[in-house]
Amino acid sequence: MARVIVITSGKGGVGKTTTSASISTGLALRGFKTAVIDFDVGLRNLDLIMGCERRVVYDLINVVNGEANLNQALIKDKHCDNLFILPASQTRDKDALTEEGVEKVLKDLEHLGFDYILCDSPAGIERGAVMALTFADEAIVVSNPEVSSVRDSDRILGILQSKSRRAIEGREPVKEHLLVTRYSPKRVEDGEMLSYKDVQELLRIPLIGVIPESDDVLQASNQGTPAIHLKDSDVATAYLDVVARFLDEDRPLRFVAYEKPGLLKRLFGGK
Amino acid sequence: MADASLQGKLIEFKGASLAVMTAYVRETDAVRLADALHMMLGGMPDFFAGEPAILDFSQLGNSPDRVDWTAVLSLLRRYQLQPVGVRNLDEHLQEGARRAGLAVLRAESFSAERPVAAAQPRTPPPAPAPAPAPTLSPTPVEAAPQAPAAAPSDNGLAPTLVVDRPLRSGQQVYAKGGDLVLLAGMSPGSEIIADGSIHCYGPLRGRALAGARGDTSARIFSTNFGPELVSIAGVYRTFERGIPQTVAGRGAQVRLTGSDNLHTLEITPLQYD
Repeated sequence: MARVIVITSGKGGVGKTTTSASISTGLALRGFKTAVIDFDVGLRNLDLIMGCERRVVYDLINVVNGEANLNQALIKDKHCDNLFILPASQTRDKDALTEEGVEKVLKDLEHLGFDYILCDSPAGIERGAVMALTFADEAIVVSNPEVSSVRDSDRILGILQSKSRRAIEGREPVKEHLLVTRYSPKRVEDGEMLSYKDVQELLRIPLIGVIPESDDVLQASNQGTPAIHLKDSDVATAYLDVVARFLDEDRPLRFVAYEKPGLLKRLFGGK
Repeated sequence: MADASLQGKLIEFKGASLAVMTAYVRETDAVRLADALHMMLGGMPDFFAGEPAILDFSQLGNSPDRVDWTAVLSLLRRYQLQPVGVRNLDEHLQEGARRAGLAVLRAESFSAERPVAAAQPRTPPPAPAPAPAPTLSPTPVEAAPQAPAAAPSDNGLAPTLVVDRPLRSGQQVYAKGGDLVLLAGMSPGSEIIADGSIHCYGPLRGRALAGARGDTSARIFSTNFGPELVSIAGVYRTFERGIPQTVAGRGAQVRLTGSDNLHTLEITPLQYD
């Protein structure tokens, strides 16, 4: 049975696409046949982050409309054999997405033998975002440690609990995970930023991980490489931890404690 | 080709009884009515969810020469209330009501009025969870808020509505005719409404409106007090200057004190250890 996971947040710019790219890569590296679908019709960027923008021939809307089949649209990732990307359309708009169409795509992916199907949701609570979460079995709710992001994540959780198929059909509810991104332990220490514990207390869903704020993320997207590939980066390590926890392995939380740099580092330019 | 025996049966008339709400209208000026409704219902569209109502004019403060029925009816319909008839209306106004499509009802048409739960003082249940009642997940805010469909018991009380999952921002729950219990608190930006009292186990962080149909004895209880707005029978309070220290984040109750025209909200901490 394929597991459908939606990466959503409500708020824009918090790290959904970065997370979708890294987690789908992480699962594929573990040997699972993984597909990642961009639901941001008209504003696609998953293909850029994954570095396959020049190989896009057909997209999700083409498949939904029957203009192409899945095999023609799926793009094999250049880093990872088990990973396939289904990009969004750039020229159409989200009205082209239909529930029956999306359901069929997901069923077809399951028949192709995929273990995990990640749905990269657009920001907002409108059609694209609702389509991305409708068929989800699990949800990773991405939130920055910041009040408006938390409020929007709360809103999307409410929508997940009322508009997902699992909710409407009264089945076991969508399994929710909280991922706090762009975390800066120093700013938390200084009282400028919410701590991950505050965020968790407000949203009351289990925490799957904390991704530290890092310049590496920008570098990775410029290179067209998911951040999880960057060796020796805190972000990559944090995403690897998230994938491990997702697969029910225990990992202690890293990158959440602020360590004051030693005197020398402070004198010579430490942060 | 319709069967000959069915010819007369294309529409059939039978007696039926309908439990319906009465709205005691004390002001016929649409502008002032609009203000009053807005204050009571916090600007919630669809509040009544299409429910029919009788407009009773026995408590009218003045004796107008005419009523702008179009304005009044469209105002009520904006809150999704469906006025179907009038009673105790002065004779010179009845023709206007009829032309506006309302039935002019005679007092004899009404059976003895059941005291609605709202009219009776109701003692709040003790702090441990009240007797098991239908549990409902919060309904999506897009749909009209629903209450359990169970018939009210003989004393006119509806079963308590129990919500067992955290209420999220943007969600709204309405406990019609009874009390509301939240077992997992509510987030900022969510809204709970009850005709009776509200009992919140967990953080109370959104808007809480008790006694929504005018029950001044309704109360709001919470184990962790921190709302954006509380209201009892339309008397409301926001917390721009923050929640008072004595109750912030602690067990607290909100009740209405004072008499008819001088109600105030009193918020006191709860000691229950």
